Amino acid sequence: MATTALEVQRAGGGTTHGDSGHGGSSHPPTSTGIDSKKLLMWWFLGSECVLFGSLIATFMIYRNRAQDLSVNLQGIEGSGLAVSSGPFPNQVLDQLYTAVSAGVLLFSSFTMVLAVASVGRGNIKAFRVWTLATAMLGAIFLAGQYFEYTEFFHEGLSIQQNIFGASFFTLTGVHGMHVFVGVIWLTMLSIVSFRGGISKKDHTNVEVAGLYWHFIDIVWIVLFTLVYLLPYRDGAESAEEHTEGAMRLVQSLPFF
Amino acid sequence: MATFAQPQTLVRPASSSSSESGLWSWLTTIDHKRIGILYGVSAIVFLFIGGLEAMLIRLQLARPENDLLSLDTYNSVFTMHGTTMIFLAVMPASTAWFNYLVPLQIGARDVAFPRLNALSFWLLLAGALILNLSFLAGAAPNAGWYGYAPLTEVLVGQTDTFNTGRNIEFWALGLQVLGISSLAASFNMIVTIFNLRAPGMTLMRMPIFTWATLITSILMVLAFPAITVALVLLQLDRFLGTHFYIPSQYVNGELTLTGGDPLLWQHLFWIFGHPEVYILILPAFGIVSEIIPVFSRKPLFGYAVMVYALAAIAFLGFGVWVHHMFTTGLGPTPTAIFAATTMLIAIPTGVKIFNWVGTMWGGQIRFSTPMLFAVGLVSQFTIGGISGVMHSSAPVDTQQNDSYFVVAHFHYVLFGGSIFALIAAVYFWFPKITGKMLDERLGKIHFWWTFLSFNAAFFPMHFLGLEGMPRRYASYGDGSGWWFWNVVVSIGSFALAASFVLLVYNIAKTLRSKERAPEDPWDAATLEWTTPSPPPVYNYKVIPTITNRDQFWADKYGTGQDHEEEADLEVRIGGMKIGSVDTEDENPEDQAATRRQNAQSGDSQSLGNIEEDEHIHMPNPSFYPLVVAIGLFLVAFGMIYSYPRLEIERLSLPVLSLFGLVVMLVGIAGWSLEPASDPEPDHDESVPLGTSSHA
Ligand code: HEM
Ligand SMILES: [Cu+2]
Repeated sequence: MATTALEVQRAGGGTTHGDSGHGGSSHPPTSTGIDSKKLLMWWFLGSECVLFGSLIATFMIYRNRAQDLSVNLQGIEGSGLAVSSGPFPNQVLDQLYTAVSAGVLLFSSFTMVLAVASVGRGNIKAFRVWTLATAMLGAIFLAGQYFEYTEFFHEGLSIQQNIFGASFFTLTGVHGMHVFVGVIWLTMLSIVSFRGGISKKDHTNVEVAGLYWHFIDIVWIVLFTLVYLLPYRDGAESAEEHTEGAMRLVQSLPFF
Repeated sequence: MATFAQPQTLVRPASSSSSESGLWSWLTTIDHKRIGILYGVSAIVFLFIGGLEAMLIRLQLARPENDLLSLDTYNSVFTMHGTTMIFLAVMPASTAWFNYLVPLQIGARDVAFPRLNALSFWLLLAGALILNLSFLAGAAPNAGWYGYAPLTEVLVGQTDTFNTGRNIEFWALGLQVLGISSLAASFNMIVTIFNLRAPGMTLMRMPIFTWATLITSILMVLAFPAITVALVLLQLDRFLGTHFYIPSQYVNGELTLTGGDPLLWQHLFWIFGHPEVYILILPAFGIVSEIIPVFSRKPLFGYAVMVYALAAIAFLGFGVWVHHMFTTGLGPTPTAIFAATTMLIAIPTGVKIFNWVGTMWGGQIRFSTPMLFAVGLVSQFTIGGISGVMHSSAPVDTQQNDSYFVVAHFHYVLFGGSIFALIAAVYFWFPKITGKMLDERLGKIHFWWTFLSFNAAFFPMHFLGLEGMPRRYASYGDGSGWWFWNVVVSIGSFALAASFVLLVYNIAKTLRSKERAPEDPWDAATLEWTTPSPPPVYNYKVIPTITNRDQFWADKYGTGQDHEEEADLEVRIGGMKIGSVDTEDENPEDQAATRRQNAQSGDSQSLGNIEEDEHIHMPNPSFYPLVVAIGLFLVAFGMIYSYPRLEIERLSLPVLSLFGLVVMLVGIAGWSLEPASDPEPDHDESVPLGTSSHA
């Protein structure tokens, strides 16, 4: 038997691990050397990429559509067609406001790193502080989103108002829900730690939460760029503004 | 060096042993083999429901201008036929085999996340229930299995536009739940395959079915989110009055353009949908790639190339979705590009066909029933593959799109491919699961019956399609000239349906008989055949050590036919080398005996001193997965039947969904607080080993 050469890898295919609940995981050896929970999280994030990719594609297709419609169809007299109207992105989006809340979210990645590092060192007090700080920053971001949404409602932009509203609220809303889940997760971690349930061997568990948190931060960087920074075309306030006709409309429709 | 004179103890609380067989033990099971069986039985049930729907379709079309089914009913019947067959029959059947076989094939004791695995199954059942309860509500989904907008749409404020019933809610929410189920199952399989391989099992030593499982799971992980998003947008359109897929709406009686685009649905759907067809077929490829070598008594020809072909198909599968949209007028450039990628994907698929033929070439072929069905796949899938290549040419597709030619095509790949392989798998692994052999004589009759009636049912559809008969039409005219082939098709369909009765009869008869099958009846090559039939809960008493690709053959016949190049094929993950074993020649007889003994009794000289095996820790049963699944079911169901509602300011929330949410949270809390396995073995009553799983 060629067993001696294999001795090191012996435990690889052993009992099941990774599903070990709250008890904390003591790095059971795996075939790849990567903790099973961490591997699960990586693949989960891979599928999240497709989820956000699809939402972002939808948003990119529709981001100027409401404006273009208003511009191109206003002038066509007697067509019997009306178009849904503004508010359009340039009228409602406040880059500065969102830049601040994006900064808050970015900063929370930093505190998350500190939280993971402190549990790695076994410093549970510091872990508590940084985890709670991360959750707080996430909550502040969510509050910012809440006030932003309220403001938009007041200006007349609801999810039904036009295709911009629909794609904007869907995309940022799904991201917001991810932040919400993250805040709950981190809060739970700190509650568990107050009850003495977190120790150095929970490093992986915290790391996995950290992976998730960094991911939704990165997604926000992409969203912030595409939703807030990239310039929009203007919508028509009145019929006279643009009368370029249907040509541009036709060009804008097949989005492939 | 441990000897096992006294009964080895398997530690678990007596009340929750999964070697029990009561209803409760099945509801709480987290044993991958039992979950596999649950998947399999559900798949068979839904195969029959889907088959029943097919029979209704064929009854309706058996003669011209038939009015057996109303137009609305016909819409529902073909929609539910397609949806059921794909999501509730073929996918769960594949997942059944993933679950049952993969841990055994890689020498593991269970999957990486056993409770998550149970959740996947219960969510499958929840989704299936939602879809099929629609019949009781008189609102079965009716917009086709790919639910094109705006057929699925409703204009808020307008009562008579498009699809205003609950039909689409059942469909969309059922599919969302099924999507979560598939995602969870796939994550689990991927982690299991990467992380729980027995020592020495490098990636390139994995059985090819395990490879197919891995690739299919990756496809699911990357494809399902697209339909999740597509369905979310659809639900927003329907519930909240957005216009993602509708270009216009009425405002105060005036037609108003919204900018929404029905083609967005088609893109999102097919970005999921084309990978989905590979999700349906790759497991079948994996199955026949296991069966053909065994019955040809030759190792799989071109193993590495087969693996690369699987990966290539999966990769290219994400770049061909527009071939479903050739007739939507996207313009020459995208059409040309996607026609080309579609033709490209025929290459790795063809490679697989040739490799199966190459495996059989010069082999000592035994035509037992599993082999008959496997070879049946090779021939029938090829026919479907060739008509598929025909569609890849856009001008040709423009003629064939939405005609019965397409119906013929996809039944040749789905039935002649997936179903043939899944039946082959039943005949092949039945003795492992139950310890009993299915009747070979009945099996052969079953094969020929299936093979002939399948061709009678589906080959004439090519003619009908070329003569212009459209699919999804509830009727055709008397003067169309289509009645003759339609009659043939209908007769063939009924004969085909009847063939399944033969299979069920064979299974029932075998289960009742007392005759035991040998542990390795086919003289197979993979690890699962070293275990007793059925395998015990913990699969392997001692985790096996792998030195060869066709390990059990190597054990039985020596490594003479071995892969010298093995060392070159090593794969690194995360910078770590996995397995670095030189193959040595041993005395084959000793080797095979040891292998079996290790798997079964752990009594061996070479692997004796492994302490971890003194107490085999298996995770505890848990009913929290079921609780979470029930919760999610209620959440989804509340969104379909949304009364009564709770009004909070602007929000109006369905009470049932809120209740479901609470149930779910309770389940999740219980789940995370319950220990996955017993912390200290000594606290619990022990069950003597040997009370093996009923499986
Ligand atoms: C006895 C076996 C079967 C028969 C007789 C049968 C018959 C049919 C027929 C006649 C249609 C066309 C309905 C129409 O366009 O009006 C159809 C559609 C379809 N079938 Fe089957 N079928 C069988 C098994 C299967 C299996 C095993 C699968 C999948 C694994 C499957 C998947 C589909 C799909 C996806 C559609 C398209 C539904 C749609 O247009 O939305 N069928 N079937
Ligand atoms: Cu396709």
